[in-house]
Amino acid sequence: MPVAVATSDTDAQLIERVAGGDRDAFAELYRRFARPVLGMAMRQLGDNGRAEDATQETFAAVWRSARSFRSDRGTGSAWLYAVARHAIIDRARQRREPVAEVVPDEPAAEAGPADEAELSWLTWRVHAALEQLPERERVVLELAYWSGLSQSEIASYLDVPLGTVKTRTRTGLARLAPLLEEVRA
Amino acid sequence: MKEPPDLRELVGDDLPPDELARLAHVDALLRAVPPPPAEVPASLTGSVGRITAVTPLWTRRRLAGALALAASLAALFFGVGVWTTGGGGFEARASVPLRATESAAGASGLVRLGPADAATGNWELEVVVSGLPKLPEGGYYVLWLAKDGKYAGTCGTFNVGAGTTRVRMSASYLLREYDEWVVTAWLPGRDNSNAPWLLRASTDV
Repeated sequence: MPVAVATSDTDAQLIERVAGGDRDAFAELYRRFARPVLGMAMRQLGDNGRAEDATQETFAAVWRSARSFRSDRGTGSAWLYAVARHAIIDRARQRREPVAEVVPDEPAAEAGPADEAELSWLTWRVHAALEQLPERERVVLELAYWSGLSQSEIASYLDVPLGTVKTRTRTGLARLAPLLEEVRA
Repeated sequence: MKEPPDLRELVGDDLPPDELARLAHVDALLRAVPPPPAEVPASLTGSVGRITAVTPLWTRRRLAGALALAASLAALFFGVGVWTTGGGGFEARASVPLRATESAAGASGLVRLGPADAATGNWELEVVVSGLPKLPEGGYYVLWLAKDGKYAGTCGTFNVGAGTTRVRMSASYLLREYDEWVVTAWLPGRDNSNAPWLLRASTDV
């Protein structure tokens, strides 16, 4: 696969380029969405191998079906989410396991299907937004929110000054703000 | 796992209130969702990378050629009388025997080619296999097309049970661009990039 080169193209523009056989656009879509797809698959299938299969199938479907995307019907991210959901459900059905009951999205372990779907969509959008950050900011945010490390421990782990950790945290959050402006928890 | 520190501790307390409110919204979202996976396995990236090894497909320029090929194939199969009908209502216009390699001695198979959809150029196929062992949890077989001895495009995946297994698939490739049908096994936790070929057949029918 070609090395993804950061581009200002929207997700929708990338999908349209993929529809024309553009491998670079496909590589960039993969860079942006591989982790959100894999994360969703792992949460819902509960098995790394099958999650990777579902992720592979998702991107195979993207490559095959990009022509079916219509930008006037929704965002590129929403289209990709639907493609991923279908791939994951297909993979779950191969084992006759209802996907919604396999491993509900955390932390809403007792949520109903509607709540689970809502959290799944919310998670997708947040994770997809994270992929748009520069690596140094994304890493700091992920450590800050999900590692259990303190800021000092993150500074030590990354071998950077504490002030740099705070600056990257602040910059990363500020960069996410417009991307998630319309998203509600 | 410990809760993340308070937002003011994360970003410092020297931000104006409106900026802090803007960041608080993002902070709440991050706290509301589970973490993303730590990393994407290189093996997955490699597998996805191979997807684009096949020149796709339905740019308008190629669609006309594909439809013409589909029509030619249909006419050819009909003309030479290769017309078989199997179970489940699948109507095959040709059957290609798969031969077992040394890695799958005792296995056998067939690729049955169905009609092309004139509107899309997609065509159906059915793979029929027997004698392949059931794979461990998470594993599956892959039917794909090879060009010059290398992977060139996936037609689908399947698992096997006892006896004969029949699996329907759909593809949209220009068959003439490929040399062979190949079946390999994908096993979890392994580097499958050089998996042995188990069943194979020429695409020349």
